[in-house]
Amino acid sequence: MKRPFEFTDQPELENPSIIVGWDGDIGKIAPGVIDFLNKELGGHKFCSIEPNGFFSLGGVAVEGDYIRFPESTFYYGQKKDLVIFKSDQPDHNHYTFLNSVLDVPGHYGRIKELFTISAMVSSIAHTAPRRIFAVFNQPELQEMLQSYNLKGLTWEGPPAISSFLLWIARRREIPGLSLWLEVPFYLAVIEDLEAIKLTLSFFDRRFNLNLDLGELDVKIREQNEKIEQLRIENKEVNKYLGLLESGLGLKEEVQLKLAQKIYEYFKRDREMR
Amino acid sequence: MGIILYEEPELKDPFMIVGWPGIGDVGLIAVDTLRATTEAEELGEIESWDFFYPKKVIIKTGILEDLKFPTNKFYFKRFERNDLIFFLGEEQPKKQTASGYAEGEEAYRMANLVLNVAEKFGCRRIYTSGAAVAFTHHSVRPRVWAVPNTEKLMEEIKKYPNTILMSHVEGRGGRGFISGLNGLLLGAARKRGFEGVCLMGEIPVYFQGLLIPYPGASKSVLKVFGEVLGIKIDFGKFDEKYQGMEKKIEDIYSQIPSEVKEQLDKLKELGYLGQTDLEPLSEENRKRLWDEISEFLKKGDGRDEEAI
Repeated sequence: MKRPFEFTDQPELENPSIIVGWDGDIGKIAPGVIDFLNKELGGHKFCSIEPNGFFSLGGVAVEGDYIRFPESTFYYGQKKDLVIFKSDQPDHNHYTFLNSVLDVPGHYGRIKELFTISAMVSSIAHTAPRRIFAVFNQPELQEMLQSYNLKGLTWEGPPAISSFLLWIARRREIPGLSLWLEVPFYLAVIEDLEAIKLTLSFFDRRFNLNLDLGELDVKIREQNEKIEQLRIENKEVNKYLGLLESGLGLKEEVQLKLAQKIYEYFKRDREMR
Repeated sequence: MGIILYEEPELKDPFMIVGWPGIGDVGLIAVDTLRATTEAEELGEIESWDFFYPKKVIIKTGILEDLKFPTNKFYFKRFERNDLIFFLGEEQPKKQTASGYAEGEEAYRMANLVLNVAEKFGCRRIYTSGAAVAFTHHSVRPRVWAVPNTEKLMEEIKKYPNTILMSHVEGRGGRGFISGLNGLLLGAARKRGFEGVCLMGEIPVYFQGLLIPYPGASKSVLKVFGEVLGIKIDFGKFDEKYQGMEKKIEDIYSQIPSEVKEQLDKLKELGYLGQTDLEPLSEENRKRLWDEISEFLKKGDGRDEEAI
């Protein structure tokens, strides 16, 4: 059977770890982290998974006025021990697709570790510190990363694609972990830069990347200032955010209202620029 | 990748009986009841992860404990005449198709894995079962539509109780389409030289969209299986088990507006045909009634899921 991926370059890699992120994730955490890493590490595409057989190709989606086509791309950078993979989530043949995600770095020797980036909505305020929850596929890795202050997740229900990948990795004896970033619900459809920074800090430490996060700090400050401005302009928004900051929950319809107001404010701001 | 067998018993001229979920879960209920009645033992399974997205993840304090996939299991039972192999699939492998039923490469691969097990144990005949969406009324005893994959089984099938061939189904002219794996498996079986029959219990056209079991049709299919395979089935137990569902069906029907019900009740007359000694409707009246109901239900082409 023909392999579903194609190499366009042959980088020198040695027993790489792989970081996996899915496009369209909550708070744009995964694309934000991966795009930042690729920029900082000089990421180059070297392989991609063909969409045929994995994605519904009955047409193309249009988003933000341009055509979107499923992409599943592997990158390498300055570090010989790291592969980065960014992709849309497949519609079909998940098992084959996810095995391909591991086959590509596996081409360069035993995969050291697998990391997936995901996010979950939370009722925290944007001014609260974010937490990283984690799911490990081996207790040994959990033990080894104890000092990273990752919160162990407990959950029974429908699995995310990252959990499926983690399960496959365990069958292949690859240690792996899914990072689950906490994202304030009203930033879920915008972009949670604070959570992106926290994720980058994790990878910075894990891979000794020496990332310069200064530019990101500026963007976080700008985002927070915009929300502060909206609080000044809109008493209702200020009240709801105040309640969240006090640790109080909001009713579903109020959450929706708040999320909508913040989304519209950022949208207007983007259009004016 | 593929099949895991827990044991490899010597089986005598086995028949294989296959059930997948579908409209009203007609086939699945029938085959599972048969499996339970015969107290068949587990034989093996098809590895699910290559076909299905997992349905559940279990994570405890940060550790991924397990993923649960839809099951696809084989069972066997020894008998005097023909031993039996059962296959029960919890889901049909499917792409995101409009029909929602199995099709394409994955479904064909699944069908061939099932047939590999049949072949390994010397089985030469496969039965599948599902629903036949029909212009019938739920108060009428459902018939069983039988479709063989070879002409030589026609004469045998004609002797099955309460069973009709496609050519005897009103308005079909012997033609139709069996969607999903119940059909595909028999096509693949034919290609590989197996005999095969699909037994479909009638489900009223107005219940086809309901996502609830329709045990009445399963019971009709079970009666055919019982007769053909020489298995005594405890229908008292079956009725007891699905009593609640029958009531639910009546409740749903009672909520249909009376003017709609008036139209649907005409189906009782159609369903009566050929089943009693009452004088049948004239061909002309029958056609008129059929057209009226078809028009009313806007389902004139009569296309259904697993048959037609």
